[in-house]
Amino acid sequence: MPLVGNIRDFGLSDFLYLVDRGYKTGCLHLSRADEMASLYFDKGKLITAIRKDDIAIVTDLLVRKGKLTPIQAAQATQAQRNDSGASVSQILVNLNLIGRDELQRVLQQHIEESVYLLFGWSEGEFRFEQGQRPELTAPILLTPVPVEHLIMEGVRRIDEWGRIKDRIPSTDMVVKFIEQPTERAKGINLAAEEWRVFARINGKDTLAEIAHKTNMSDFDVCRIVYGFLTAGLVDVLRKPAPVPMLATGRPLAEAPRIKKSLVTRIINRIRGM
Amino acid sequence: MQTVKMVISGAVNAGKTEFIKTISEIEVVSTERRATDDTKLIKKETTVAMDFGRIAVGDDLVLHLFGTPGQKRFDFMWEILSEGMLGLVILVDSTRPETFRETNRIIDFFMSYRETPYVVAANKQDRPNAWSPDELRLALRLPTHIKVLPCTANDRESVKLVLLELLDVIMQRSED
Repeated sequence: MPLVGNIRDFGLSDFLYLVDRGYKTGCLHLSRADEMASLYFDKGKLITAIRKDDIAIVTDLLVRKGKLTPIQAAQATQAQRNDSGASVSQILVNLNLIGRDELQRVLQQHIEESVYLLFGWSEGEFRFEQGQRPELTAPILLTPVPVEHLIMEGVRRIDEWGRIKDRIPSTDMVVKFIEQPTERAKGINLAAEEWRVFARINGKDTLAEIAHKTNMSDFDVCRIVYGFLTAGLVDVLRKPAPVPMLATGRPLAEAPRIKKSLVTRIINRIRGM
Repeated sequence: MQTVKMVISGAVNAGKTEFIKTISEIEVVSTERRATDDTKLIKKETTVAMDFGRIAVGDDLVLHLFGTPGQKRFDFMWEILSEGMLGLVILVDSTRPETFRETNRIIDFFMSYRETPYVVAANKQDRPNAWSPDELRLALRLPTHIKVLPCTANDRESVKLVLLELLDVIMQRSED
């Protein structure tokens, strides 16, 4: 069954995170008013993105960009018809009509820009169809793109407090790295101001303190941390509140101590119901 | 007579009342009122006070189940209910991603007070458009040690399973 919802409630960056961590293969269809887009993923990585009214055939795209002649485009299309299992992107490389790196660069730039435009949508219906794959004639990347990179760049284009505050409700929250961010961080290129914030994350300082130490605005620090957070590099936590004490001296926040024998009795009772 | 308490929480229309009704031995004490705010768009009547259910474990021990009000304006009740609770079930309507943020807010609220054992129950798994427990874990960004369980709140076996999984978490923290 498809996953459905609205990006007003579950944002594009949140969905990309889900696709990445869930190693999802399928297509995310987005629509609002008369606009539509389809993002295809293979094991959590983006392989193509197609917007309505945009060129959906790789050879047409490359001809428009001056990377192929119409004759070469026709040659590749014909070859693909004879080799129904391969994508046109793969055929183009196999026939040496374009270099693999050049094809990757041109398609990646085109596809990423299509995705970045979608980050500007504040609302729109989404539907994720598991297992759905693009047409073999689509501009399919030969090397799929990790989504952390897309999230970081997409978030750079967010200029609304509203969306950021959904995840970071207060500048009194503490930022800490997740346990093993190194592997994930490899796919992400940070800008200078992002490095300034990144270097200040120590699991103790609040966002307000980081803003103070970096001489950056609260908004800029929150926006940057929102990107790290959405890409799964860091976590933000409430600063532990002082524990209120009861008159007995027992901390209020202490969970009640309970004996195993009592838990066993409740378990047996519920099993027998 | 010793009483122990479990709290069932979640966003509006997550299935808290149904969950307690399904397992309680007594008629659930539920204060249902006609909804007066935007929740009326979701259901005609919603829980504005609390649900209360009871399971007798023996002559000397009773388990109480409290359902929290789902609406934000009753947040103050959560703190009162959470005092002394044994564990917490967070119910999620798996078919409505628009409630996931509110679910995270509820989890944050309870965890900011105390390290309470809790599980997340992905309710309405019998519906065709339900997000799976694995997808909910990612959507809610829950760590792997938190159990996210499939649930159908009107199915007794399903509710029993959720409570037993919560008791398993409680057991790991209990003392000899």
